[in-house]
Amino acid sequence: MTIFALIIINKAGGLIYNRTFHEGLNKVSTNDLLVLAGTFHGVHAITARLNPLKHLQGAGGGPGNRNSTSSTAPSAHPGGSSSNSAAAGGGGGGSAGSGMSAQQLYQRPDPPSGLEVLETENFRMQCFATLTGTKFLLFTDTTQANVDLTMRRVYDMYADYVMKNPFYQLEMPVRCDMFDRKLGSYIREINNR
Amino acid sequence: MVVYSFYIFDRHTECIYSKSWLPPAPTASSSSSTAAATTTTAPGGPTSDTHPPLPLSTTTAAAAAGTSGRRSAPTASASSAADNDAKLIFGTVFSLRNMVRKLGGEDDAFVSYRTANYKLHYYETASNLRLVMLTDTATLSMRNVLHQIYINLWVEYVVKNPLSPVEHKGGAGVRNELFELGLEQFIRGLM
Repeated sequence: MTIFALIIINKAGGLIYNRTFHEGLNKVSTNDLLVLAGTFHGVHAITARLNPLKHLQGAGGGPGNRNSTSSTAPSAHPGGSSSNSAAAGGGGGGSAGSGMSAQQLYQRPDPPSGLEVLETENFRMQCFATLTGTKFLLFTDTTQANVDLTMRRVYDMYADYVMKNPFYQLEMPVRCDMFDRKLGSYIREINNR
Repeated sequence: MVVYSFYIFDRHTECIYSKSWLPPAPTASSSSSTAAATTTTAPGGPTSDTHPPLPLSTTTAAAAAGTSGRRSAPTASASSAADNDAKLIFGTVFSLRNMVRKLGGEDDAFVSYRTANYKLHYYETASNLRLVMLTDTATLSMRNVLHQIYINLWVEYVVKNPLSPVEHKGGAGVRNELFELGLEQFIRGLM
């Protein structure tokens, strides 16, 4: 039961936080890690597009979904990256013009549906993408249970100690002492269990 | 357990075999034409359609116009869409494999990933032949299944086939009767 590392990627694909808690993964230089974060950001968007059931779900979807499929192409499935789908929804509303009903206006975009869990022979990676596009990657060993819960706690701490820090600038690397300390003690507790 | 599709990529990154078990894609043209038909024939009556009727008459007209223009070559667009999917899948799998090797060491192997809608399983042989399978999210590891496909079907019916070329350019020699039949039976047996 080990948690190896945590990586946070901002909505543009930039690496904003990276911390190793336990030996187990290869040592990767910061440059390589930046490349890795960018690559993963792209792959995540593609995995959302690859959904084999997209044409089945697209036909039975709500009005907003239907609007976008008829106005553009079936490939413009809402649920790519969150920013994408928001843009597509806005575009559809503009072209439809005056006939837009209130129900269509207040439709929320689908939550991001990209890669969630990646499994390899040596580790497991859990990815949590927030609605705003920030991605949390938690690297654990293959037998680690309840990663969802851990992820949730990490996100809570991010909200409490990073987002509520008045000196933190959005989309910039996370340098918050409080966050580091709380996260460190929480993960240590799990790793020593 | 549901298997959606299966792909084989050779060491030159080419997709040499692909098969889909999904119901034939009701292309955008056909689905919108049925919607247009229901709205025009029965405008007042309760429609049996699952989606709510469109409030805009302009949208249906646009959809109808789109169908007449698009109906010319539906099969060509479907095959190119499948082609594009294969390319996207290869790109994804290749990037993830390299990422995993960088993080987990040279001997680490990418096994599978899961999204909210599907799960992708991956198996790579020593000769860089890559087998990819898309299933529903509840499926457990299919690594041994892909391995079985490799030993019992690929090696038996493609590699040992004297008429099959060494390199399967454009999928040459892969789509033979025995391989197709064996794969179909194997997957049907799983589902």
